[in-house]
Amino acid sequence: MKRYLALILVLSTICTNLFAAEAGMPQLDPKYWASQAFWLVLVFSILYVSIAKFYLPKIKKNLDDRESKIKEDLDEANKLKNLSEKKIKEYEIILENSKKEATKILFESKNALHKNIQNKKDSMEKEIENEISKAQKEILEMKKNSISSINSISQEIASDIIEKISGDKLNESSTRAVIEDTSKKNIGKYL
Amino acid sequence: MQQFSVHKIGPEIKIAGIDLSFTNASLFMVISMASILLFLFLGTKEKKLIPDKIQLIAEMLYNFVAKMISDTAGSKAKPYFPFIFSLFMFVLLCNMVGMLPYAFTVTSHIIVTLIMALFIFIAVTIIGFLKHGFKYLSIFVPSGVPAILLPLITIIEIISYLSRPVSLSVRLFANMMAGHTMLKVFGGFVISLGILGGWLPLSFSVALTGLEILVAFLQAYVFAILTCIYLNDALNLHH
Repeated sequence: MKRYLALILVLSTICTNLFAAEAGMPQLDPKYWASQAFWLVLVFSILYVSIAKFYLPKIKKNLDDRESKIKEDLDEANKLKNLSEKKIKEYEIILENSKKEATKILFESKNALHKNIQNKKDSMEKEIENEISKAQKEILEMKKNSISSINSISQEIASDIIEKISGDKLNESSTRAVIEDTSKKNIGKYL
Repeated sequence: MQQFSVHKIGPEIKIAGIDLSFTNASLFMVISMASILLFLFLGTKEKKLIPDKIQLIAEMLYNFVAKMISDTAGSKAKPYFPFIFSLFMFVLLCNMVGMLPYAFTVTSHIIVTLIMALFIFIAVTIIGFLKHGFKYLSIFVPSGVPAILLPLITIIEIISYLSRPVSLSVRLFANMMAGHTMLKVFGGFVISLGILGGWLPLSFSVALTGLEILVAFLQAYVFAILTCIYLNDALNLHH
């Protein structure tokens, strides 16, 4: 412990002597003041001139260029954006119009088709009705015809039957009268 | 204190009986200037839209100083931007170069800082008188002060105005000198305490070196911003 203390003491004495040898501030020695002032002014002047005339305008120009470039690009982007929006609007309008047209066309053709179908249906129905009434008339006529032919056939059959049974020939007019009378009575069932 | 001593390099130059020899102080001024110019040369060599590292630093420094000026002195101070920029860069580089071992710190000499401060002081005063004429004297008479206090305040204002170059120069000089002396003292302790006890002052030395780099930047910034504030007083008369 003592040894360390002695060592520190010796070293600090040496140190103090070292500092003492350099004591005093060189800053306050006026020997080189003029020289320092001269060189400071010279060096700083050179520095100032080259910075002011050369480097700062260069940096400034570069910064301005960048700023204007960014601004231009942004303007361009905005312009393109507006253009694309316009185009989208135009496209939407076209789309809307064509949609309207399509629905119109669809509607019109639907109506036309409907009318056409209706017309055809009506005429068809009329035709069918005509046919039906015609057929009915024909049927009626045929029935009427068939009545007279039935009458004549039944008169023949009746006179034949009577002839076969009785061996007599009846008066044709009386048989016909009876047949006609019967058919008139019973024809309502079939007509 | 050997690190602050100035000695002659090369032949003696005498003009009209005044010793203007090239000294180590002059050498480190030239080194600082050359570093700034080299840095700016590299920073402006290529004009890239997307800057590389050195160009980015140059542009950041430009914007830093430009913002400092416009914040403190407004748009009227624009013509003085190159001067403030040069001043800031010069003081910063002198401080920083001084942090290198065996280097000489130009700004640790009162004569250097005093000449810069005096130049700023005189220039600002001339600018003030040119811009405002004798109305510039109203800077010493603040408004809204009771009449009874006005003489006292005016005297204080005049003293504070006249002490600007002293405070500006001594602040920088004292900071640089004190920092370097402290580093030297701790370095001396490392040697005197040897391998056993020297670690503690060594760690202090390392920490102080970091602090000194901060101080080097800060003092350059303070020097520049105070110049801006003085310029602001001269350009925009508020009273």
